[in-house]
Amino acid sequence: MLFNSLAYFIFLPVVFCVYWLIGSKRLKAQNFFLLLASYTFYGWWDFRFLSLIFLSTLVDFVVGRKMAALENRKIKWQWLWVSILFNLSMLGFFKYYNFFVDSFIASFLSDNACTSTVWSLNIILPVGISFYTFQTLSYSLDIYKNKLKPTRDFLAFATFVSFFPQLVAGPIERAKNLLPQITSGRTFNYIQALSGTKLILWGLFKKVVIADSLALMVDDIFLNFQDYSGSTLALGLLFFSFQIYGDFSGYTDIAIGTAKLFGIELMSNFKFPYFSRNISEFWQRWHVSLSTWFRDYLYIPLGGSKSKKTIALRNIFIVFLVSGFWHGANWTFIIWGGIHACLYIPVFLLARNRSYVGSQLGDGPWLENIRDLVMVLITFILVTLSWAYFRAETLGLANEYIWSLFNNFYFEWYQHPNGYRMLDYFVLLLVFLIYEFVIRKNERNPVPFSSRWVRLGVYTLMILGLLLFYDSNTNLSFIYFQF
Amino acid sequence: MRKFIFIILAYGVFILLLLEIIVRTLHLHKETPLRMIDERGVERWMPNQSGISVTGNRKQNFSEYRINNRGYNSYREYEPIMDSLEIAIIGDSFIEGFHQHYYNSLGKMVENDLSGIQVYEYGYGGYDLADQLHLIYAYPEEFSKIDRIVVYLKYPEDLKRGKYNVIRDRVRLQSGIYPYLKKSKLLVYAQNIGLLDAVKGFVKNAVNTLRGNSRSGVTTTTKKSEDLDQIYLENFKSLIAEYGFDKNKSVFLLDKSSLPDAFQEYLDNQDYAYIDYGEILEKAEDDVILLYDPMSHWNDLGRTLIANQIADWCRNQFK
Repeated sequence: MLFNSLAYFIFLPVVFCVYWLIGSKRLKAQNFFLLLASYTFYGWWDFRFLSLIFLSTLVDFVVGRKMAALENRKIKWQWLWVSILFNLSMLGFFKYYNFFVDSFIASFLSDNACTSTVWSLNIILPVGISFYTFQTLSYSLDIYKNKLKPTRDFLAFATFVSFFPQLVAGPIERAKNLLPQITSGRTFNYIQALSGTKLILWGLFKKVVIADSLALMVDDIFLNFQDYSGSTLALGLLFFSFQIYGDFSGYTDIAIGTAKLFGIELMSNFKFPYFSRNISEFWQRWHVSLSTWFRDYLYIPLGGSKSKKTIALRNIFIVFLVSGFWHGANWTFIIWGGIHACLYIPVFLLARNRSYVGSQLGDGPWLENIRDLVMVLITFILVTLSWAYFRAETLGLANEYIWSLFNNFYFEWYQHPNGYRMLDYFVLLLVFLIYEFVIRKNERNPVPFSSRWVRLGVYTLMILGLLLFYDSNTNLSFIYFQF
Repeated sequence: MRKFIFIILAYGVFILLLLEIIVRTLHLHKETPLRMIDERGVERWMPNQSGISVTGNRKQNFSEYRINNRGYNSYREYEPIMDSLEIAIIGDSFIEGFHQHYYNSLGKMVENDLSGIQVYEYGYGGYDLADQLHLIYAYPEEFSKIDRIVVYLKYPEDLKRGKYNVIRDRVRLQSGIYPYLKKSKLLVYAQNIGLLDAVKGFVKNAVNTLRGNSRSGVTTTTKKSEDLDQIYLENFKSLIAEYGFDKNKSVFLLDKSSLPDAFQEYLDNQDYAYIDYGEILEKAEDDVILLYDPMSHWNDLGRTLIANQIADWCRNQFK
C-alpha cells in the first residue's frame, strides 16, 4: 500500500480510530491490531512476502532469547551468526543473487548471454527487504553487545519488526528506541497527533509536488541524454537531486507523522541535507538511520577512526562501498558509494568531519554565513554530480552522462516533449528552498509558526500545491522501494 | 482524541473553503456549457452560453468560448441562405476549439482567407463520423443551403460504430445530484485534473467486488489490427449507406498517413474527396501542437496551416 494512494487514505483513519478505541489499557490487543494492520499494509503488495517478514521475526526473536540465556561468549557468537547469516542470505538471495551471478559470468566466462540465461533467476525483490532485515539484525547485534535486553513478548517484537509506517522504506529503527514504545502503554497525545498530521501533509507535499513533478523531466533527460546539451544534463541532475530528496524525505516525513498518530516516535532520517557545508555534514543529515546503522554496526566494529589513519581510511572506504551496495545490486551504486568515500576522506584528513555537529547554516555572523553558503553550494554540486551514478541504469551510461555534461556544455533552453511550462518548476524549487531554509531548525516541525492564521495559510498553500502539481498519470511509487 | 478529530475536521472545512475561493478567484476550473439532445436526436450544446475553458492544473491554456443560437462554439450565428456562399466544417473538439478563443478558430481562419464566404463550424467534443453524418442527415433544410461541407475524420477513433444512436450518458450527468456538485468549483477542478479518477475507480472496484463481479468473469477478445481495419471500413460504408454523403459538395479532412492502405484505396476508388492535413503538419518547422494539452489539439500555427489547405480547396471548388 502506498502512502500516497487512496487505499492508504482510507486505511489510515480506520486503523487510527480502531487503534485508539481499543485503548492503551488493552496493550496486547492494541499491539495485535497494529501487527494485523502492518501485515495488511505489507500484504497489499504481495501477501506471499509476509512469510519472509515472519521468518525474519521468528529467527531474531529466538536468537535474541537464546543469546540472553547464555553466558558463554563463544556460543553467543554462534547464535549471532545464525541471525546474520539468515538475514544476509535472505537479502543476498532476493536482492543480490542475479548481480553476483551476472558479474561472475561477465568476469570469468566467455559465452555470457548463453550462460546468463541459465543461471540468472527471475526473482522479485520483496519491498522493503533491505530495511527490515537491517532492523532485525540490529536487534540481535545489540543483544550480543549487551546493549539491549531481549523481549519475551513475541507479539511486541513482531509489531516492532513490521510496524507499517517505517516497514518498507525506513527510518531503520533501533530496537532500543522503538521496542520499549511498543511494549509499554501508549496514551493519545493531542499535540503529538497534530504534529504527526503536519508531517504527513508536508511529506505528501514533498512527494507529490516536488518529487513526482520533477520526475517527468528527470526521466526524459536521463532517457534521451545523448540528444541534450550539457546545460540540460546539469538541469537533469539538479532536478534529480530534488526529486530523490523529495521522494525519500517525503516518505520519511509521512512515516514519522503516521507513527506519531499512534503515539510512537521514530528517529529523524533527514535534516535538511542540502544545507550541508561539507560531505561529512551531508551524511549527518541524509538518511541518518542508515548512516548511523553503518557507523554503529560496521565502522566502529572495524575499528572506526580510533586506530591508525590507514585503517581508518580503509574503514571509511568499506562503509561507503557497502552503503552504496546496500542501495542496489548494481555497480552504479558501488561507484556512487566510492565517490562519496573519496569526497569524505579529505574532510576526514583535515579533521573537519565533526566541525558542523550541532550547528546550522545561518546561525553565525553574516561573514561566516556567506562562507558557509559557498561551502553549501560546493557540497551541493558535488553531491549532485554523484547522483548521476545513482540514477543511471548502468555504469557506462553514468560515465557517458558525466562526459556529455562537461564535454558538450553549452546553454540550451530545455523544453519537455509534453510541453510542461518550465517556469513553474523553477519557481516551485525556489519557493521550496526558501521555505526549507525558514524551517531548518527542526525537521520534525515543518510548520513552526506561532500564528494560527499563518499556519492555516501554509496548510492551504501546501494543499493548493498538491492540486496544482498533481498528475494522475505519474507513477505513485517511491524510489526507495526498489532498495 | 475527540478534540483532535474536531480540529482536523474544522481545519479541513476551512481549508476547503479557502481553496474554493482561490480556485474561483484564479479561475483554475474549466467551465463546460450545458448539453442537450434536440428533437431530431442530435447532441449539441444548449444555445446562447459563454464561458472560459481551462486546460491543465495550472491554467496552462485558457480561452473564452461562445455557444451560438445553433448550439456550437462560434463567433457568429448560422443563417444559411441560397444566395450566398457558405461552408460548414463538422467535427469533434478539434473543430469545436474550446482550447482557443472563439474569434481565432479554424473556421474564422478559413473565413479570413476567403473573402465573401461564410464558414459555419459544427464542432462538438466527442463527435464521431456517425454523429457528423447524422447531423447533416437530420437537418437537410439547413445543409442543403450550405455550398460545401468539410467533414473531419480521425481514423480510427471516428469509425468505432456503424450506426448512429443517441447516447444520453453525458446529458444525464446534468441531472440529479450533478448540477449541485458542479456548483463547487473546487470539485470541478479536482475532476478536471483527474483527482477524482482514483476515487471513482476505487468505488467501481468496491461495487464490483461486492456484487461478486470478479475479473475472471470478464471475457476479453483481442482482434488483429487487419480485422479491426476491416470493421472500421465496414462501419464507414454502413454510415454512408444510412445517412448519405454528397460527393459533389462534401470533402473529408483527414490525416492520410493514419489510414490503412485498404481504407485509402477504398476512398480513392469510390471518388471520395479528401484534404490531407497530415503532410503539411509533418513538414511544419515549428510545433503545431498546443503545449500543455493532453489531447494534442492544434495550436495557432497548426490551425493556420490546415485553414490554408481548406481555403485552397474551396478556392478550387468555387473557381
